[in-house]
Amino acid sequence: MRCSRHLTALLPLICATQVCAQIASNQPPIHSQKYAMGTVFEIVTYDRANRRASAAINEAFHEIERLDDVMSNYKPQSELSRLNRNAHFHPQAVSRDLYRVIEQSLEYSRLSAGEFDISVGPLVDLWKAQQRGEQAVTPDAENKARECVGFKSIHLLPPNQVEFRSPCLRIDVGGIGKGYAVDRAADILRSQGIHNALINAGGSTVYAMGTPPEKAGWTIELRDPSGTVRPQVVLKDSSVSTSEQTPPALLSERSGGHIIDPQNGGPSKNSGAVSVVAGTATASDALSTTLLLVGPGRGKALISTLRGTAAVWISPDGRVDTVSNGAVIRTWAAPDRSIPLAYSEASSKK
Amino acid sequence: MELRRNQKHMRWPFYILCWLMLAPAAWGRILLRWTQTDVPPAKALGVTHLVVPWKPDSTSILESARRQGFQLYVQASPDQVPQINAAGQKPITAIVVDIAPAQVAQSSDILEKLRAQYPALKFLLLDPNGKQPEMKGTMVVKRDGVLEITSPTAQPWIDSNVPLVRFEQGFRPEQVPLYTFAWDSSNDLQQQQGPASEDYSLAIAEANALHADLILTLPEEIQRGLVANNTAAWALWKKLIPYLETPSKSENLQPSANIGVVTTDYDSAYEPMNLMARHNIPFHVLPLAKLSASSVAGLSMLLLFATPNAQLATVTSDFASAGGTVVTVALPGPFPWQRAPATRIAEHTTSYAVGKGRVIDLSEPIADPETFAQDVRRLMDQDHVLLSLWNALTTIGIPYRDSRTGATVLELVNYSGESLRVQARVKGSFHAIRLENPERGCCQVIHPAIRDDFTEFVVPQLQVAARARLEKTPQTH
Repeated sequence: MRCSRHLTALLPLICATQVCAQIASNQPPIHSQKYAMGTVFEIVTYDRANRRASAAINEAFHEIERLDDVMSNYKPQSELSRLNRNAHFHPQAVSRDLYRVIEQSLEYSRLSAGEFDISVGPLVDLWKAQQRGEQAVTPDAENKARECVGFKSIHLLPPNQVEFRSPCLRIDVGGIGKGYAVDRAADILRSQGIHNALINAGGSTVYAMGTPPEKAGWTIELRDPSGTVRPQVVLKDSSVSTSEQTPPALLSERSGGHIIDPQNGGPSKNSGAVSVVAGTATASDALSTTLLLVGPGRGKALISTLRGTAAVWISPDGRVDTVSNGAVIRTWAAPDRSIPLAYSEASSKK
Repeated sequence: MELRRNQKHMRWPFYILCWLMLAPAAWGRILLRWTQTDVPPAKALGVTHLVVPWKPDSTSILESARRQGFQLYVQASPDQVPQINAAGQKPITAIVVDIAPAQVAQSSDILEKLRAQYPALKFLLLDPNGKQPEMKGTMVVKRDGVLEITSPTAQPWIDSNVPLVRFEQGFRPEQVPLYTFAWDSSNDLQQQQGPASEDYSLAIAEANALHADLILTLPEEIQRGLVANNTAAWALWKKLIPYLETPSKSENLQPSANIGVVTTDYDSAYEPMNLMARHNIPFHVLPLAKLSASSVAGLSMLLLFATPNAQLATVTSDFASAGGTVVTVALPGPFPWQRAPATRIAEHTTSYAVGKGRVIDLSEPIADPETFAQDVRRLMDQDHVLLSLWNALTTIGIPYRDSRTGATVLELVNYSGESLRVQARVKGSFHAIRLENPERGCCQVIHPAIRDDFTEFVVPQLQVAARARLEKTPQTH
């Protein structure tokens, strides 16, 4: 861990009023950051026992590191890498964490009719190479990669075994792993007596535990590619994740994007950003990728089945679509773009 | 920054002459800025260059520091130089000239005048616009104290001094880049406690990797603690010594790059340069006025952020004709290449085939420098990519070439502080690699793999810094 510091300057981030800032200044937040899983994890917490809080944050970071060793695609000796090498037609025993991540991933795959798919790695690699200018994607190469993709070939054999019923399937949990790690880090903080904290995984997934002093929740300003909508969410014991397709190239013809649509085998054409609020970081992480791929039409229907969620899609030109099934996302756009809070499309559903 | 906004008055013939006569070795030093009356011995600190801000009573500090074995530099404004001269100081190594922001546009003239007026004194120009090198999270202050989530891709943000040093090398080639920065003091505790040892280590390692001179500022409490033999102060300092002991070497190394950023000022090209550095795309900075057939020789791409006149537009066009790629950024034409029909018209770009090469006119300023940097890499012919790194989102690699031996030195800086296993691919065939780093010393032999005139190797544990020396032939010991 790089540092562990009390950031009184962070107070204005959390408290919008002078009065609140005055109150909270008596209890400065403790902030720490750590690089893991290819991103910067940050934890902010309030606790009168600074030493305890710092120790708890350290423990939470250790948990994230441990999970990186389980789920990393880059580390050849990670548990996931071993699974990817050995599970083709041979059931492999895995840890509880990896089993749970795969299990939850498959749930979102089923919910999204295959739009969320942790087996999309071969296609991602193919398009990533093109994005780097290394090699153009040919139809043959794409077809070959597509043959390796398909969540239905991943079989869970309870209580702890996984088998790939495909000769070339490979798992990449990049669309859900950070969320899962954030949830586990939150568990660690709770177990250490910390109940008010914000855990940020590189800005793409944020989980809020409890509240900052004297506030109803943690205010998060969400990604807005148009710069006009200013979406915000106030979180308490819930999470928000944002996904956004890589912008198109300015100079070259080769373009694409880092989010691959398993259905069409290429980069998703959906531009803009989508943010999703859910009860857990695992859920918000998986849902944000899914909702970017399916767009508002099918995305609203999906959210309507998931209580305690909400989503907002914002296009680069400022068009907004939103849906809520309990959670609330606020915007500060011009009146004609304002979004009804507690959008009622799904209010009668479970 | 006025100098950077207006370089029209720079006297290029003079500087080219200076460069030829005084071309400095491409290596840098750490200079410690000291404000206390007493100072520990240079040997104990592991630093030999001390910078003392000039005050009328500075003479006692200078005397004390001289006795402790330091080479002395005095930091002063141009107005203070006569006082320093009159004080009749024993020889000081150089005067570090602080130019007031209002006078920055005239800094070259001021320096030239000082050199003429005081030929016995040596002057160095300080660029104070460095940044504290660091990896940043995404929590930032915005309107009414709201947390803003800025990064949907979740990649870490790196603040580095690569653009600053490249700019200095382009615009002041007669001097090894000399820069300083203010420590990030955006929070009270950091103000109170000062930087951590990791912050110092990274700053030193970065300056070493950039082969630039850094004036390192130490909080007064640390200075006093070191003088008073305070245990905590020395415990902190001892952690830095391995980094101070791994300076860049006095070899005939020049930065390797095959992209030229053509500009008249720092600000208009800063963000694209910063993101190119972040994506390990090596580049040189070329002042627009210095654009010539010889200055672009060996480059494969030019990025123009300033409008060339007719003569310089011809140089640009000739560069493309010979097979180069040129990208112009929001420049008003007309230009010679625009007389031919466009080969491609897209939303923001118009492309022209020019001889064996091409010119791409970007119609708008760069709103997304991240995408621009990635586009630059995509535009490069793969055979011309000098450096690629993997598992290195927080790592910046800076390649250098030894023109005498053909060896390449790759300096690596990891801004996260977490140990990484970085994979590197460097243009050229090298059969022997020696790896040196501050944490483990010199030297570990690395076994490369050579494929299609590229050399691939792994740096097993990159903590803060590493230096890989790639030789054409294995060395015998």
